Amino acid sequence: MTDTTTSTPTVNTVLGPVSADELGVVAVHEALLSVVPGAEHAYDITMDRAEIFEILAGKLRDFRAHGGGTIVDSTGMFHGRDVNLYEALSRSTGVHIVASTGMGPEEMLGGYFLTPQTNPPTPWPAEKFADLFTKEIAEGMVVPRVERRGAAGLVASTATAEGMTATDESLFRGAARTALNTGVPVSIRYGKDALGDLGVVLDEQLPADRIVVGGLDRRDAAAAGAPLEVAQRGAFVALDHVGLDDDAYLTDRERALLVLDLVKAGHGNRILLSSNAIGVAKGQPDYDLPFSYVVSKFVPFAKSQGLSDEDARRILVDNPRDLLTLR
Amino acid sequence: MSRINTVLGPISAEELGLVAIHEHIGYGMPGSELDTKWWKTPEERYEETVPKLRKFHENGGGTFVDATGICNGRDIDYYKSLSRKTGVHIVACTGFVGGDTALPHFARASVDYLARQFIHEITDGIGDTGSKAGVIKVGVSRGGRMTELDKRIYRAAARAAVATGVPILTHLAIDARPAIDIFNEEGLPLDRVLFGHVDDGVNAESTPDTWIIEQGGRLGFDTFGYETELPDPPFWARPRKDRMDHFLRFVQGGHADKVLASADANCSPLGWPGVKGHTVNYIFEVLIPDLRNNGVDEETINKIFVENAADFLSIRN
Repeated sequence: MTDTTTSTPTVNTVLGPVSADELGVVAVHEALLSVVPGAEHAYDITMDRAEIFEILAGKLRDFRAHGGGTIVDSTGMFHGRDVNLYEALSRSTGVHIVASTGMGPEEMLGGYFLTPQTNPPTPWPAEKFADLFTKEIAEGMVVPRVERRGAAGLVASTATAEGMTATDESLFRGAARTALNTGVPVSIRYGKDALGDLGVVLDEQLPADRIVVGGLDRRDAAAAGAPLEVAQRGAFVALDHVGLDDDAYLTDRERALLVLDLVKAGHGNRILLSSNAIGVAKGQPDYDLPFSYVVSKFVPFAKSQGLSDEDARRILVDNPRDLLTLR
Repeated sequence: MSRINTVLGPISAEELGLVAIHEHIGYGMPGSELDTKWWKTPEERYEETVPKLRKFHENGGGTFVDATGICNGRDIDYYKSLSRKTGVHIVACTGFVGGDTALPHFARASVDYLARQFIHEITDGIGDTGSKAGVIKVGVSRGGRMTELDKRIYRAAARAAVATGVPILTHLAIDARPAIDIFNEEGLPLDRVLFGHVDDGVNAESTPDTWIIEQGGRLGFDTFGYETELPDPPFWARPRKDRMDHFLRFVQGGHADKVLASADANCSPLGWPGVKGHTVNYIFEVLIPDLRNNGVDEETINKIFVENAADFLSIRN
């Protein structure tokens, strides 16, 4: 491991590198402006930037008022990411915003990556994705066809729900290589098989503690014991649908018990909590759970069930700091 | 009253002049905007584009039909500025180059939703530009077989064409049977459809061109200039003489009223290198002289580039 004692550990935010100790309470898997690719061209969807800003600023201020310090927009580079907007929001609200690069699953990609103008139209391999994503950290995130801005703080990808496709695998491997090239962490949302999908990233020789696996509060994953196994492999376990009332996911009560089980098993340093809330949704249903829900509602409930103050702080502050700190 | 939607508003068919029926100001696959290797400054874009359009105008070109689909870098405000400054009428399209260029929001949509999108862009306007689409673009995805999504787009386009009177341009005419079945089922007369790229090097041999004409469709010989004689030809290139012979079989075989021609060039490509030296002005510099050399008279040339185009583009109510 790199010796980090000689320089201050930092995290890439949209306003530049920030000392890792300044992050405070972090929500690692959230969406600020989330636009289904193509929806920006839809006849029945309007994009009023002033209105979008106002809604997001209100939600970020609420997050801050409840003790939140940093929001990670983990939607990648092709799902409505708007770096200029996020810079203005961060300046205005005082909340640190970490934006992400990456893409996925395959269905969400543009044809440029899937059916390129070559004969035959071979989909992009891992190395090309690695190059595209690495530049978003080394040279800055793109404002399409206009400019590059600050560096991404995370590389995120998602596998197809029915199971990882060949292009999903290229995306995961490209994300892992990006992390190795740049020192940012990787976020994966698994498709059908949490451990199998994690294995693809580990196969690239990325240390497990540079990886967060999202969606581990899905009922099928929890029933199969995936959260514990992911923690045992050394990756971060994101229980990141806090507040969601949906048959596919655990209830908050079950989620809290899972947190306690993981702590009891000695994995308190691997747990992350987030809600996958959507600040402003375009081309998809709203999901406007407050970004503050984890800290204001869920954690007090988990404490009532036996979570210690020390472990709560570790989960909300220390673990995401360790994940996001550039290596 | 004849009427064609251009980006600067409707014009009469008499004003179209010579029409380049299938061209691109700039084309890029969706997602190419994320890859800085293709980026150019706005200055470079105008520098690459304006002289070509000015030359088109000076050559006697009247109207440039941009066949760049919704997710391929279509940029109406830019087209408006180009049209206003060069005097070239620009017709923009609604629709998609093919299913594989429709982004998820549209790839997941129903026929009904897609039809409403197209109709809105034709009757109300494209985004907040106020400009109305003058043609509908559809196409066959890579692989040469119509996908389920391609068919959904074709059906939506057919409904929008029936509802608005605007014609349809296709990218590729291979696998034409399912396309024609859809148009027939939706009650769209086939002379409202230009089956494009019947001349391209990859698919020409297996495109049922004669059958399409027999059904009542129009044929687009609209990749003129993508020739194997080029120093670095694209994979869809074809020997110049093969293409011309193919075209002449229809022009001189009694179908001059059913064909249109164009160069499918990019003024300034958005997400691919483009083909150096290939521009819309190939029509004047090579194609029309070649037609004359092959004995095609001025009346027929006028029919192909002016009369057929006007008949096809005029909104039919």
